[in-house]
Amino acid sequence: MVLDLTMSMAILALMGALATIAGCLEDLESDVGSQSNPNSQVQLAPQMGFLHRIYNKAISGEPVSNGLSAVTAGTVTVVLLDAKFYPLMAIVMGAFVGAIVLGIFATTSYAGRVASQTRFKQPLYMDIMRYTTPSIIGHNFIVNFCLVSLAYIQYEILAYPFSIPFLALIWGITAGAIGSSVGDVHYGAEREFQNREFGCGLNTSLSGRIVRKAESGLRNSIDNVWFCAKFGGPATGIALGLVVFLSSWPATIMQPKTPADYWKTIIVGLLIVFLLIIGNRLVEYNARKTYGPYKEEKEAAS
Amino acid sequence: MVSLLDPVILQSILLIAISGTLICIAVHFIPVGGAPAAMAQATGIGTGTVELAAGSGLVGLITASYMYSSLPDPQSQMLLILASGAMGSMIMIACTMLMGSMVYAFGVGVPFASAQVKNDPITGDRQDLYMSKGTQGQGLPTVCFVSGVIGGMLGGIGGALIYYVLIGLYSQSAIIGTSAAAVAGVFTVGVFYVNSVIPSYGVGGTIEGFHDPKFRRVLPKDAFTSFCVSIMCGIVAVLIAGGM
Amino acid sequence: MSEIKEIAPNKLVLFGVLGGLLGIYLTYLFPVLGMKIGGNVGGLLKVIAPTFGALGGICAVVWGADAVRRVSKYGLGTGVPSIGQIAMGMGIVASMFGIAIMAKFPLAGPVVSLVTASIIGLIIGWFAQNVIKMKIPVMVRGMTEIAAAGSLIILGFGVAVAGNFQFETFVKMVFDDGLILAVFWIGAVAILHPFNATLGPDEKQKRTTYLAFSTGAITMTIIGIGAIMTLGLSGAITMMLGIILWVIYYKKFWDEVYKDASSVLGTGLIPKTEA
Repeated sequence: MVLDLTMSMAILALMGALATIAGCLEDLESDVGSQSNPNSQVQLAPQMGFLHRIYNKAISGEPVSNGLSAVTAGTVTVVLLDAKFYPLMAIVMGAFVGAIVLGIFATTSYAGRVASQTRFKQPLYMDIMRYTTPSIIGHNFIVNFCLVSLAYIQYEILAYPFSIPFLALIWGITAGAIGSSVGDVHYGAEREFQNREFGCGLNTSLSGRIVRKAESGLRNSIDNVWFCAKFGGPATGIALGLVVFLSSWPATIMQPKTPADYWKTIIVGLLIVFLLIIGNRLVEYNARKTYGPYKEEKEAAS
Repeated sequence: MVSLLDPVILQSILLIAISGTLICIAVHFIPVGGAPAAMAQATGIGTGTVELAAGSGLVGLITASYMYSSLPDPQSQMLLILASGAMGSMIMIACTMLMGSMVYAFGVGVPFASAQVKNDPITGDRQDLYMSKGTQGQGLPTVCFVSGVIGGMLGGIGGALIYYVLIGLYSQSAIIGTSAAAVAGVFTVGVFYVNSVIPSYGVGGTIEGFHDPKFRRVLPKDAFTSFCVSIMCGIVAVLIAGGM
Repeated sequence: MSEIKEIAPNKLVLFGVLGGLLGIYLTYLFPVLGMKIGGNVGGLLKVIAPTFGALGGICAVVWGADAVRRVSKYGLGTGVPSIGQIAMGMGIVASMFGIAIMAKFPLAGPVVSLVTASIIGLIIGWFAQNVIKMKIPVMVRGMTEIAAAGSLIILGFGVAVAGNFQFETFVKMVFDDGLILAVFWIGAVAILHPFNATLGPDEKQKRTTYLAFSTGAITMTIIGIGAIMTLGLSGAITMMLGIILWVIYYKKFWDEVYKDASSVLGTGLIPKTEA
């Protein structure tokens, strides 16, 4: 389909928005079940004598489990589209199936991991299982919906050469990779160890000593997602949104026709990367100035 | 029957082997700290080597394949397709690292410091003084960021190159000519995963980038392994186009 | 660990290889038989044939999950999931090769795939052990098994979608609509999830194996949904059977959890410990 500039910008904006929502919810879904790298601390805690009431959703790494739910959703969507379902309906039903499958994997990983920690006396809390799993499914449903919609737009309107499950899988993996690189830091380094001093890294000797008390009562995974929704989740969303938006923005805005035009889009892309490097330098400078050196020059020299 | 000694075929196999090696080298450039980094205990991005390399490389694959399908005569524009793959991957990894940096700086509150070098080779900032107690550096100093962007570029080029070679071969094949994009894409993902897992076993989960002493220690043997394995994958991939 | 009797690895290898190949070949054999017999019985044989491919896939999943378990026990340095990915990466390359190179003699395809996968796995395992120096004693054997299981999973679930393993149909039915990605990724999760989800000092083979059956059945169900699009009724049968198998093994897995877990509480405070 050939689109004019306005229409293609609108499509690009929609894709960016879908990706932003997907990224944000993806990170929150991993926090609500405690997945990926921060989960190593939840896993370690009982060994250190810190029994807890936090879900242990060790399906696999975040990109893998997200790819799983996204590709399931994409597959079901394709089947329903083939059966002449209305696209929106097909995507919603596909996303639902994907989320349910992820929920099943989540239950087996929580039960399995806790049962494998018998010697540390970690109990398996069925109430945690009952009210955290639906929350995981709910978050994941929105992620799947956004990612499959993104794939649908790219396949149907922009005519990408890959099929919907393929595109959904790749965006699922990417969303997971970004979620575990960006948002999980907020959950792992800040929320799990909220009682330590702000403004420094986590001392290795504190590993496994996670915070187990909430603002009121005992902390569970729903409390964690409440906290991470304030910064880690949106940051992840912006990252995925930027990836989707910036990787097609040059080609959309310049409407290239000849190879020379395409080269110009590449150069614009490289400029964007350069700006991002400068952005990181500014953040680095700011952080170093704010939190300051921990050692004096002489002490380090000796 | 395809003759393996045909120069075009040999060149394709070699290109696939080179792209596999590029992916392997890319993994070494990307600064990942695994679980410790997610706890602000180590320098780098707080995730695993495989998935970040794959995530960025596959975005590169999407942009490269889109470029391939929108160009009128794609087979003559190899450099452009590789460049578009590199651009997609670089943007993915740069956005991820920038937002990750923001979480480190404003959400966790750590100054960025590398544990492997005394001064940042690019900005010249002192690193060791900024490492807080009981950690091995934290966050993403400029040198790690640049290293990550280079890694993204190499990964993107690698993925795009396999796709470019395979789709060129498969679209001429009688049996799978109409499904060339699908087969080449899936094959690219397969080869990509093989080549991103091998080096991650070599680096053992964490690496800071090209300034890390580990980089020089493990790169040659990982690259050699990847090259040999990719040659095999290349032979297999080429034979699929011909059948028997 | 030693007091618990474990199923010997060799038995599981046999189970995986024989079960997997049997399932894959039955999808070929049943339609041929159905033609000979004809009538209602023949038609029925033809309809249920693809389902056996998925059952073979489950055998391969159980085998692969056990191989993952044996290798990952040593700690890979980068998490369990990576091994599932490399398994499928090797598997897809090898199984495509197997059925493509044997396009003229399709019957040999699955065996050639299996052998190719084993060779690729052997070489990667050898390199990992001797060039990268991972110091995992079971690495060479483990990689070989994982790659072989990966190729059988791809083929098994692939024929459940395509109906046979002729390269041309395979590409049209499994690759063009993207279902191969479902096979690829869900299959990978199916073999890496069982050990990853039961990781811990009190991991038991029985529980992990039940979980492997359960994840295999989930894969079968989703593949069944996909096959409804390509094969119609056969896909529906695959899906229904998948759900039934899943219910059985999910239940068995939970029974083991109830038996093994330190305590299963409806709710409650954290028990007192020294810390």
